[in-house]
Amino acid sequence: MITVENINHSFLIGRKGKETNVPVLKRVSFSVQQGEIVSIVGRSGSGKSTLLHILAGFLKPDSGKIRVKDTVTSAFTEQQSAQFRLENFGFIFQNFQLMPGLTAFENVELPLKLKGMNHHQRKDKVNKLMMEVGLNAVQDHYPNELSGGQQQRVSIARALITDPPIIFADEPTGSLDSETEQEVLQLIQTLNKTLGITFVIITHDDEVAHRANRIYRMHDGNLAEEGAIHAV
Amino acid sequence: MQFKDQIDFIRQHIKKNKLRVFMTVLAATMGTAFLIVLASVGFGIHDTLRSEILDNRLVTQIEVYSGDLDVNKAEGMKDIDHVKAVVVRQNINAPQQESLGQYSTYGNLLVTDFNEEAKVGFALEEGRLPETADEVVVGSGFAESLIDQQAADKIMESRPADSQEELEIPSYDGNLIGEKFVYQLGDYDTGDMYEEQTELTIVGIAEKPSKDWLVDNKIYADATLIPKLEKIYQKHVEDLENNPLLSSMLYVYADELENVKTVTNQLKDDGYNVYSISEELERVDVFFLALKAGLVFVGTIAILISSIGIFNTMTMAVTERTREIGVMKAIGAQPKLIQRLFLMESAWIGIVGTVLALIISYAVSFVSNWLLPIIVGAAMGEEDFADLNVTFSIIPWQLIVIASAISLTVAVVSGWRPARKATKIDVIDALRREL
Repeated sequence: MITVENINHSFLIGRKGKETNVPVLKRVSFSVQQGEIVSIVGRSGSGKSTLLHILAGFLKPDSGKIRVKDTVTSAFTEQQSAQFRLENFGFIFQNFQLMPGLTAFENVELPLKLKGMNHHQRKDKVNKLMMEVGLNAVQDHYPNELSGGQQQRVSIARALITDPPIIFADEPTGSLDSETEQEVLQLIQTLNKTLGITFVIITHDDEVAHRANRIYRMHDGNLAEEGAIHAV
Repeated sequence: MQFKDQIDFIRQHIKKNKLRVFMTVLAATMGTAFLIVLASVGFGIHDTLRSEILDNRLVTQIEVYSGDLDVNKAEGMKDIDHVKAVVVRQNINAPQQESLGQYSTYGNLLVTDFNEEAKVGFALEEGRLPETADEVVVGSGFAESLIDQQAADKIMESRPADSQEELEIPSYDGNLIGEKFVYQLGDYDTGDMYEEQTELTIVGIAEKPSKDWLVDNKIYADATLIPKLEKIYQKHVEDLENNPLLSSMLYVYADELENVKTVTNQLKDDGYNVYSISEELERVDVFFLALKAGLVFVGTIAILISSIGIFNTMTMAVTERTREIGVMKAIGAQPKLIQRLFLMESAWIGIVGTVLALIISYAVSFVSNWLLPIIVGAAMGEEDFADLNVTFSIIPWQLIVIASAISLTVAVVSGWRPARKATKIDVIDALRREL
């Protein structure tokens, strides 16, 4: 599904004219199979978020190649990258990243609006999904009227609404209490199982990481597979 | 994203920042209304002046000046395209007096060609055109100007010096057709009339001039009268070369107002000095074009000042929504869409501002056209000032087009940079922002 070959990336840090080059990713290579949950675990500053940004196309690698569904995405322009994201990726963020001015329903609807789907089709699709993830009771609430768990569910629903084959989750349980964390992880596993969606989860939490089929550990810009295959 | 959804998106944002957007729209409205009202004054005064020019004279008339005008040249001019008539009018260069019994007046004798005059609207109120040398037509105000001088003197004597009453001087009130009067030439230096008297018969009365305030007390005669008068004149004036009895004016009439310019140019090419209304209108038009351009320029500065408001509002909007823009880009919004949404928002401000400005401008224009003549009239102590057709402000469609184009362009241009800034927002930075 996703093949990453020899990705290198570095940041220029410091005052202008006196910048220093800090390598963040060093010859990173890995692959994700269709229908897998893969977690990338590592400490803060290990480069795992940068890797996710590169996979998602927010950032271009200095060198290396990324292939998603047989398409080389690392050479995309900004426009191509945006279009590809809209059609193939869903995102779940640590702090949910919901639009504060939109209701839960409207937040979930947003990607479909971007796709240009008409009002009736959108309404049917969002209603159905809201029901499935148990959000129909709060669909007219604004994000600040929802609990953390509910917000993350809205965020997951927004990621699911376009039926993407791949969902990237960046610290999906980072802002949640342990009980809600379990609920969210359970939901991810269910979605993976029932819909066959491939998940790439970035986390610093070993417990979250161990819910995955495969774990990659990131350390100082180097990525290595832990090998432990967790039975889902 | 469908267009309707884009509009919805913008509406939501505007709703969220009602006050700020309202103030920006207000600034845009004031700038645009200022431009329209300012320029409308230029259009208004231009129009007033134009109609003043067109009202006061025969619009198709072209005056031709030439040292040696003769009948042949006038005949030649009749062949020019679009020429309706060529009239040579000759005035008498001497004081003149007409007496009818105890009544007298000082009307000017005009020698002209009645056939050509008829082509350009000369018509008789009653009677007929002259057939012999001593027959004439008089103007419609001739009878009124015939005054009983002795009776008038008496009234003046008996009247107290500080009397404000209007004088009722007895004037001729009988029928003039068929009446004979005495025509005398005189001397400019002494003011005395020569003793030679020419008896003329009134056979017709000319139609009243279209303007109420014009009094026509002229005597219209045929060229056949000239020899008789010249004979009298020669007896008293020696240097005929420098003091001719008659001075000629040549008038060429075009068939349509649009053709005045063509005929004028043709005459100019033929070497004549000409004057026509088109010349004057052209000068007035050029002057007012410059004036209006100046006014639009000054008004545009007002719009540019309001554009600072739009720029500010849009920059604030982009800064405030950085995180939201980042999320939209993350989930797959095209940079072009983001740019379009912000441009549409600033265009919306421009459109609403322009529409409001148009409504306000029309209202201001209407009120000023109604109120200003009354105020100016009151200030000048002239009650009938309002009756004069002075238009202070006119908003033609061209002005609306120009003002709307300037306003909308300025709105979109001032929203351009903030919109570009929005597309350049870095997704990663935006997502790191706190709520």
